[in-house]
Amino acid sequence: MLAVRDGNLDCMGELFERHHGPLFGYLTKLTGNRASAEDISQTVFQRMLKYRHTYRDEGSFTAWMYHLARRCASDHYRKSSSAPVGMDSAALEAHADDARGADEAAASRDDHALLHRALGRLDRDDREVLLLSRLQELSFVEVAGILECSVGAARVRAHRALKTLRDHYFQMQKETLP
Amino acid sequence: MNCQSCREHMAELADARLDETGAAAARAHIEGCAECRAEFESLSLTLGALDALPCRPPSHRLRAGVVGHIETEKLTQRNRAAWASSIRSAAEGSGGRRSSWLPAILSALGAAALVVLGFFAGERTATQRQLAELRAKVDTMGQLVEQSVLQKRTAGDRLETVLTAATVRKPDERAIDGLINSMAFDPSVNVRLNALTALYSHADQEVVRAGVLACLPRESNPLVQISMIDFLVATKAREASPELAKLVGDDRADADVRDSARRAITLL
Repeated sequence: MLAVRDGNLDCMGELFERHHGPLFGYLTKLTGNRASAEDISQTVFQRMLKYRHTYRDEGSFTAWMYHLARRCASDHYRKSSSAPVGMDSAALEAHADDARGADEAAASRDDHALLHRALGRLDRDDREVLLLSRLQELSFVEVAGILECSVGAARVRAHRALKTLRDHYFQMQKETLP
Repeated sequence: MNCQSCREHMAELADARLDETGAAAARAHIEGCAECRAEFESLSLTLGALDALPCRPPSHRLRAGVVGHIETEKLTQRNRAAWASSIRSAAEGSGGRRSSWLPAILSALGAAALVVLGFFAGERTATQRQLAELRAKVDTMGQLVEQSVLQKRTAGDRLETVLTAATVRKPDERAIDGLINSMAFDPSVNVRLNALTALYSHADQEVVRAGVLACLPRESNPLVQISMIDFLVATKAREASPELAKLVGDDRADADVRDSARRAITLL
């Protein structure tokens, strides 16, 4: 990113290739909608270019990217003026299941759909802190920085969000039992 | 470690993010506390399921959009540098007098307008000579017109104009003229691609096919090049064969573009 800031825009392509997958995955889970996740991802990379002069060599690039993603997602929600829905059939397709048996694959898809719905039931703030805390490339200190709160507060919020998700998820599993 | 402290660190324990001392204390507590053990197992299960949620890669639209934006930004950067340099040289050349860049741009825009008028004033069947002249003008005018475009409106604004023009069922000559101009000169890949797509509805007009053919040699983006080739094939523009043959033989051209050109020649 430092090279991009200094005018080497070719490096932006490399950054895109390296980071767009995890970013898109995070935004798909956050919004529950692939089209919105694509729109927001595109805006994130556009803003990286637009605000490249403001990039400082402090902290990691990834933390800066998710900080931008948070702002872009907020703008997206404000513009669409509706909370994201937790279901998007396209988001639930699982290519990883293709190699397994049909029954197992179908059960797995159902389970993924349940979890997507459970995620959709969380408040946006809860979903955000939980998903950020699951990103291996971010430490809790960085998550706290992105959320502009203390490390302790981020940790507690993530834990609460996880418990809420667990409760919704298990409840839905019980409801779907024959 | 008590239950509350243990539960606060469960997610980190499941991720092996806790330091050794903390992890050992949490594990010891979980061993001896049935409630915390059940809590840890259910949270670990949820975390595992969350991490295992599959996500298909994004569509090509994301890559095309970002790459297009990067290309636009690179062009803007180059133009800014050229702009500053031209102003400096004009100022130095005139010994302190006002620079003469403005009349140059205005005359360039006038000439560009002539290029477009040439599309309409020409014979119904475009001759090779006319196309050659058109290409020469397109090549020389391109940079200057790009500069004038960049000074005025953002890529988003220009894209909106193109999309609006695309919705008009029976556009007049001016609208067609604008679309051809955008496809030929706009620095944004997105705008050029959308202008080309909009021109599909008017492919029965000779001027549109001639315009696409004239722009193909100066186009440098593979995405747009391949789209232009597809357009020429879809409109059965047999006159494009010589230009396509040149592309096939051009070592500097993108491999996919050359493949598309080769296929197009066969189809035409």
